[in-house]
Amino acid sequence: MTIPTTPPPAAGAPRPAPGRVGPATLAVQVLRSPRARRPDAVLVVAAGALAVMTLAAVFAPFVAPYPPDAIDLLAVNAPPSAAHWLGTDGLGRDLLSRLVYGARTALLGPLLVVIGSTVIGMLLGLIAGWRGGWIDAVLGRVFDVLFAFPSLLLAIMAVALFGKGLVAPVIAMSIAYAPFVARLTRSLVKAEVSRPYVSAYRVQGFGGAWIAFRRVLPNVTPIVGAQSTLNFGYVLAELAGLSFLGLGVQPPTPDWGAMINEAQSGILAGAFLPALVPAIAVVIAVVAVNILGDELSDRIGGGIPA
Amino acid sequence: MSLLEISNLTLDLPGGARLLHGVSLAVGAGETVGLVGESGSGKSLTARAVIGLAPDRAALGGRIELDGRSVIGASGRDILALRRDSAAMIFQDPRSGINPMRTIGDHMTETLRLCEGLSAAAATARAVELLSAVRLPRPEEHLRQYPHEFSGGMLQRVMIAGALSGSPRLLVCDEPTTALDVTTQAEIVRVLADQRDARGMGMLFITHDLNLAASICDRVVVMRAGRIEEEGPALRVFTRPSADYTARLVATTPTLGPGSGSGSGADERPADVPASDAPRSGGRASALALTASGLSKTYHRHGKPPVRAVVEASFDLEAGAALAVVGESGSGKSTLARMIVGLEPTDGGELAIAGRDRATIPRGRRERLARARSVQMVFQDPYLSLDPRITAGRAIEDALRLHSDLDRASATSRAVDLLEQVGLTAAHAEARPRTLSGGQRQRVAIARALAIEPDVLVLDEATSALDVSVQAQVLDLIARLRRERGLTVLFISHDLAVVRRVCEEVLVMRAGEIVERGGTVRLLEAPSHPYTRLLIDSVPRPRQADAQPAGATVA
Repeated sequence: MTIPTTPPPAAGAPRPAPGRVGPATLAVQVLRSPRARRPDAVLVVAAGALAVMTLAAVFAPFVAPYPPDAIDLLAVNAPPSAAHWLGTDGLGRDLLSRLVYGARTALLGPLLVVIGSTVIGMLLGLIAGWRGGWIDAVLGRVFDVLFAFPSLLLAIMAVALFGKGLVAPVIAMSIAYAPFVARLTRSLVKAEVSRPYVSAYRVQGFGGAWIAFRRVLPNVTPIVGAQSTLNFGYVLAELAGLSFLGLGVQPPTPDWGAMINEAQSGILAGAFLPALVPAIAVVIAVVAVNILGDELSDRIGGGIPA
Repeated sequence: MSLLEISNLTLDLPGGARLLHGVSLAVGAGETVGLVGESGSGKSLTARAVIGLAPDRAALGGRIELDGRSVIGASGRDILALRRDSAAMIFQDPRSGINPMRTIGDHMTETLRLCEGLSAAAATARAVELLSAVRLPRPEEHLRQYPHEFSGGMLQRVMIAGALSGSPRLLVCDEPTTALDVTTQAEIVRVLADQRDARGMGMLFITHDLNLAASICDRVVVMRAGRIEEEGPALRVFTRPSADYTARLVATTPTLGPGSGSGSGADERPADVPASDAPRSGGRASALALTASGLSKTYHRHGKPPVRAVVEASFDLEAGAALAVVGESGSGKSTLARMIVGLEPTDGGELAIAGRDRATIPRGRRERLARARSVQMVFQDPYLSLDPRITAGRAIEDALRLHSDLDRASATSRAVDLLEQVGLTAAHAEARPRTLSGGQRQRVAIARALAIEPDVLVLDEATSALDVSVQAQVLDLIARLRRERGLTVLFISHDLAVVRRVCEEVLVMRAGEIVERGGTVRLLEAPSHPYTRLLIDSVPRPRQADAQPAGATVA
């Protein structure tokens, strides 16, 4: 009795595998993962809400019934009507239009912060996890210091230094959120480094930097990326808070946080809608993003808590 | 009436997959029945079903009667009673089955106090009795120790003692020695056999190792893909298998005996040095591919005595030869391999590969590449040594393009060439590791190492994570590559029987020191060092070992 040297027939040809994992194929993998067969209702609603907000922000000029700063002096603090579906604010501006335009800054800010903090955090985390030793120790202490500062405080400091607007807070919050990303990246990279495939690359003669950036980093990116989306909601709420304090986006640019701020006096006059509508929008956006982010990190990362 | 009777057992997963297709077997009191098969054969599922450990939501069909009571459909309370009085189980990895925060005494007396209602003093007395029954040297002292103070073999004995505390009538052993060294395995098997005989227990012994099964079992049941292929007295199944599958399994199982266990007739005598040397010009074996002299490595630990992993290792390896480094865990053989491939700095000594000094860890691109071309390594576990994101073809291409200035297209076609040389096809080039089987992955790892055309290829336990039939194929592949390419091989292994098939020379290591070196045949037949003898004697072989070796009948 002899054993054939060729592979057994049972082991046949492999399943066809897609090309390299880009964001698109990754998205496809995520959507096709087993649990995606019957997406639960909450998830659909959350995704729908975010999609509506994103589309509204992108196509604001077509969606909004009025320009965001068009003043209708005949309707100040007007209740909802056929002309103004959500009513108007204290200056007679259409609330719906301002809400739609406000989605632009409300979504753009957190998006930039998530991207910025992910890039900074992954870079630092990779360096710390890959090199270890004193670099790891120093970076670890730097993260500890950053953790001690509330991100809102950092943003306020940045505004004090560089002036009001969207840019300074976005940079400050990118830095403030980077340690969260960096810590996760570091621990994932550390686990990856101890795996034999990294040793195998070394034995083949590949350099450390190549292995770290071209092989290890892409392998941890899906998990880190999924975790980073969870930050989106927090940042959105904090940036809205900053605008509410008058330190963020400046009037007359419509912004949800600023709208709440401007509507304060109206509340005493009995017009609660101008404050309530943007507040609800913030809540819906944050909840929707968190639901999606949770699901995403569950599917990709096996549910590592943030 | 047998102690355990399984008839027509089926197991279906909720998804509709049927994992067991009507398994029937019986175990009598005092009898040992071996359940043998490769991974995925359903042997563990069958055994687990016996003590009510079937997977959640799985649907069981057929009948399991243990000690006259039915297991399938029994209530949780009845299952509990069965586990307390009738059956106990021990698992593969003792360390994951014991609470690391509690003492051995806690582990041992808990069951006795809670299930048998013994007083603390009586439970302690019983625990001491049980621990000495499994031949642990100082039972009273062990009760106060923690699991981390124990070696794997000692811990497995604790687990056995724990399993015996309920005086079970049936002991289910799921690969109890697979994670252990061969000398430890021999001790554990002896303890199990003693206890079986002393207590008249029935034993259901699950293993993938036919030699081991034949050495301890009365009867053997061979399983494949959820079905029973063959059943019969152990020695008969081993020497005169009736099912094709069993015959193949026996043929591929490496044994220490001469002239047996070789998968393909061509490799009957691996000691044929000239055969492997033939393609080399001149055939003179004077060229040394690798020389190590006084190679040492010591690990310094905080607050503990330093570990001397490798002590003054000196040996050389002729070009085109195959040398095995054999030893148990902790013998330093893996550290030696890692120093040779440049993953671990040496503490002292000299290392030259193909005439160049390679004692240091390479720095800079040129040194790295030169080092990589001098030696390549195939790692133990192909599930971990391939990048999960990179396709098989791409992994080889990357290596090719690093070491040559091939363009994309020619690298791709060369990668396919290499895949074909190791018995895969162009279709596999597009496959990610997770879609490949263990054997296929290891072939990819070998192709990747060959792509660099190294002077020396180090195989670090390269087949120990594979099933025996797959292992045989990979060993054949290595033998073929040696013939065709005149490859120089350093083969690190714990398994003397495997070594016999690949290498003409063996180096035995123990606690960091090389204790013996010699030709494989001579060393296996007449070991000169007592440790080598112990290693050889510990390898399980069928009882009545003088009987006709298996391969002879089969081939």
